[in-house]
Amino acid sequence: MKKIIFLAILGALLLQGCKTAPESANAATAAPAAEVKKEAKPIEMDAVKIMTDPNIGNCTACHAIPAVPSLVAGDMGPPFIGMKGRFPDIAKLRTAIADQKAISPQTIMPPFGRNKILTPEQIDVVAQYIYQY
Amino acid sequence: MKNFILVLLLAFSLPAVAEPVKTAGEEETTPEATLKAIQHFFAKEFPAVKGDAFVDGSMNFSKSSKEYNNFWMLRFVDDLDQPEEYTKAMSTGKKLWTTPFANGKTFASCFANGGKGAANDYPKVDAASGKVVTFESALNKCLESNGEKPLAYGDMDKMGALSIHARKLSDGYRIKMEIKTDAEKAAFARGKALFYGRFGKAEQACAHCHIQQASKVARTEELSPAIGQAAHFPVFRPNKATGDLGVITLQKRYEGCQKNTLVADPIKPGSADSNELEYFHTYISNGMPLSTGVFRK
Repeated sequence: MKKIIFLAILGALLLQGCKTAPESANAATAAPAAEVKKEAKPIEMDAVKIMTDPNIGNCTACHAIPAVPSLVAGDMGPPFIGMKGRFPDIAKLRTAIADQKAISPQTIMPPFGRNKILTPEQIDVVAQYIYQY
Repeated sequence: MKNFILVLLLAFSLPAVAEPVKTAGEEETTPEATLKAIQHFFAKEFPAVKGDAFVDGSMNFSKSSKEYNNFWMLRFVDDLDQPEEYTKAMSTGKKLWTTPFANGKTFASCFANGGKGAANDYPKVDAASGKVVTFESALNKCLESNGEKPLAYGDMDKMGALSIHARKLSDGYRIKMEIKTDAEKAAFARGKALFYGRFGKAEQACAHCHIQQASKVARTEELSPAIGQAAHFPVFRPNKATGDLGVITLQKRYEGCQKNTLVADPIKPGSADSNELEYFHTYISNGMPLSTGVFRK
């Protein structure tokens, strides 16, 4: 009996561990349908469109671009200014966009690459765009 | 083989738990300590915002937000400039509340004191079932116990309007929740897990915006602090696309928040999850005065 209880608890913990993956239970079931729908649309490659559309990147909701007054709408994340100084290696900027949570575990920033909110090509377009500021 | 089946059964019967964001209140285990930790965090972040002022939400952080809000609130009481949607919702709510059921009784018969000082007693946990009962589910229970059909929780034209009228009877009454029994503690814990849990592709939690990032600006709007929010719903809120004013209940707002943060299957008004989230969320506004039917951006 002890063995059964031990196995049960062990199994439960292991599987529960799997379930604590960031993509939540209520999102997981509908995710494949959403991906199919997304693939049916042409992929947006205009950096500003990606960054301002709430259904795509929505970057400017939280990050301001002080050099472009119409793109100053949020301050939850750091403003895009002095980017070359902050990210001498643009690859690190791409990595941050792809999965900032891996760098800063409590961040509110969505993992755009890891959860396929943006494609690697879209992430590159965005990184190139903000790198000019 | 038996062991294997047992392991599988047990594992799949456990609810999935979203990974929590570790911000103020997350690690505390009791309701009292959770609330204290959030209050302490806000007191440090916003020393000028005290007590009942939290009910004013983001207006505490922006003069323009306050002015914009005042502009709408003045329109609500202006006979010549009252927004059509406001007039319609208020009259629908009043009609639903006062029109007798087929048996001749009205909603007022279901609540002590004709409904005055009723809404601030909710949500509560039903001792027999252990389930959370919100004020809106009490309104539906009233309909059903009088032989009428319940309203859909997501129907803002009816349930939203009725909720505003019925809650307005308790404006100024302070939220009084007590969490003592095991069932109440369990409901609080489940609601708390939803509040701090990361959901959807964006992996964002309620606690991200309304504790960790409260007062920061997203899309030109200051984020309101979690304390005080539950005291002022339902609200009148303009549709971002059309500009039309609409009634939004607290649970409808939960659904909207999750839609905005890329959750594929957002939490639904009237669901057990929504009720438990509201239970936690209202507790952290405990003691605050109700202020229903106000304008919020």
